[in-house]
Amino acid sequence: MTEPLLQARAVSVRFGGLTAVDAVDASFHAGELVGIIGPNGAGKTTFFNAISGVVAPTGGELIAGGQRLTGAGPHRFAARGIARTFQTPRVFADMTVRDNIAFGLQFAGRRPRRWGLWGAQAPVPWALRTPESILALIGLGSERQDLAALPAAAITPSQQRLLEIGMALATRPRLLLLDEVAAGLTEAEVEAMAQLIRRLRDELDLSVVWIEHAVTTLLRHVERVIVLHQGRKIADGPPAEVVRNREVIEAYLGDEMGDETGGAAGDKTRDKTRDKTGDNTGDNTSDNTGQGLNHRHSAGAAA
Amino acid sequence: MNRPAAELRRDGLVLFGLAGWALALPGHASEFVASLALTCLMYVALASSWALFCGTSRYLSLATAAFFGLGAYTSALGLEHVGWWSAIALGALVASAVALVMGALVLHLRGTYFAVLTFGMTELIRHAITFWEKSVTGTVGRVLTVVPERETVYLTVLLLAVLAVATSIVVRRTRFGLALAGIGADEQRAQTLGVNTRWVKTLGFALTAAFAGAVGAAMSVRWTYIDPPTVFNPFIGFQTVLIALIGGALTLWGPLIAAVVFSLLAETLRLQVPQLYMMSLGLLLILCVLYLPGGLASLRWATLQGWWQHSRQALRERRARRDRRNQRNQRANRAAGHDDEDSDD
Repeated sequence: MTEPLLQARAVSVRFGGLTAVDAVDASFHAGELVGIIGPNGAGKTTFFNAISGVVAPTGGELIAGGQRLTGAGPHRFAARGIARTFQTPRVFADMTVRDNIAFGLQFAGRRPRRWGLWGAQAPVPWALRTPESILALIGLGSERQDLAALPAAAITPSQQRLLEIGMALATRPRLLLLDEVAAGLTEAEVEAMAQLIRRLRDELDLSVVWIEHAVTTLLRHVERVIVLHQGRKIADGPPAEVVRNREVIEAYLGDEMGDETGGAAGDKTRDKTRDKTGDNTGDNTSDNTGQGLNHRHSAGAAA
Repeated sequence: MNRPAAELRRDGLVLFGLAGWALALPGHASEFVASLALTCLMYVALASSWALFCGTSRYLSLATAAFFGLGAYTSALGLEHVGWWSAIALGALVASAVALVMGALVLHLRGTYFAVLTFGMTELIRHAITFWEKSVTGTVGRVLTVVPERETVYLTVLLLAVLAVATSIVVRRTRFGLALAGIGADEQRAQTLGVNTRWVKTLGFALTAAFAGAVGAAMSVRWTYIDPPTVFNPFIGFQTVLIALIGGALTLWGPLIAAVVFSLLAETLRLQVPQLYMMSLGLLLILCVLYLPGGLASLRWATLQGWWQHSRQALRERRARRDRRNQRNQRANRAAGHDDEDSDD
């Protein structure tokens, strides 16, 4: 197997007494489409923050393309081809939509594109050449030229989500980290987003890591799933295998998984899943010291 | 950023015209006007360079007085040994060197913390200089013996003001300026898009400080005697911030316009209503914040029209409310048995 684009070795993030991410090992290879799932407070976003340099890990190592990046700032990760979006869109509100995209092209997007470790300088894909081509790629360009000149604050939240992806693409990444890009979208929009993600992966030869709460959709589209629970990785494999994993079922998916894959996705199922998780956390407190946020949540619910 | 070249040419021409006008001013104006113009130019240089970093990156620095004072002290000490222009350059150098150290220490803090710490460091520097004066040299201040011509000082400050505005014009069009704007909008997002924010911030802070130091070095000869309370006067820093904010810290010409308006206004108020001078300034500031949050530069014809329509609307609503109240009273009167107002229907 080729060298991974990004490798996390026993990465931990602690905030005071709380261990949000507990010695997680994970590696992401070129062209992969990986999903990360887990209940609320499982440490998904914190793990993302760690592997994109937004928070420095308190333990472990991060290696990107053979280089150690542990503790480096986000701009170093961006320069190594690791781009990300945020859970709530963080666009430059006063800049125009076009300038938001141009920003990334001016900084991380300017570095030469080297795919392999010693690889020759790869040409930039046509779709990532200009702000206009990126806007067209994410579906905010071409026929709606007027959109590009609007301030980013003036477009709809779902358009802002797309713009965030466009901003990340403007850094010309090799690895794209998407943090709940489908949150708050309608079912049709979620499906469109999933299609877009697959298309970006295929057309741009990207590797995509996707955190999502809408488990059903995610499982349908990704090729590998990592399950986090109370900061620890409890499963890592193809979706079909992971949904049969006993630990995953106990900790997260529960009995409802069968119904959910059958198409009955929705808030009701998700709530049930969460309740189930809460119960399990309560049962398990004796063997794992119950540091997860989830534990606190269930304790509060019981009171 | 792809700003059209026409805009660049326009900005350049405006600056050129203003500079020419300011250059000709002392030739045919009274001494009072010339000294007023010098104050204007000083604040143009200070506010423009302040807005260059602090306006775009939204790091509120109150350290202008520190850099100004350091520049002033450098030239007061250096003028006996080196020439005028070297003293100015030295002032800029010392101020930016201190800013590099200060920036490395406090630029990871944002908002109020940054503002308070820069102010605290200004006080620290002022007291350190006072201590040095008292314990090492045994004096309270410095008497400036080597002083250049009046015109030289005016010319230098004019040059610094032009340089400050020109730097703002250029920086806005560079990657450095774009990075500052990104930091102002969302620092962490800018970082994840590849900006080394630490470098950009420190360099921007040092650039601002260099201008303040140079201006301080040039202005020190205006006093024949300087001591720490004079040149490290926090008011210089506050006034710079106020001017930039009132003018519009995000704009190019806002600080310049405000520096001129503010200096003239301050001088007029100080002479006309000395008792109310500070109060009127405060009142103006409040009005500005309430009704012109974007600064003077955001003032457009449409803004004035908006105010006019808004006040007319308010007046109309008040009249309507009064009418409704009257009608209600009439109805109440009628219900109480006063039938004498039937003719109203």
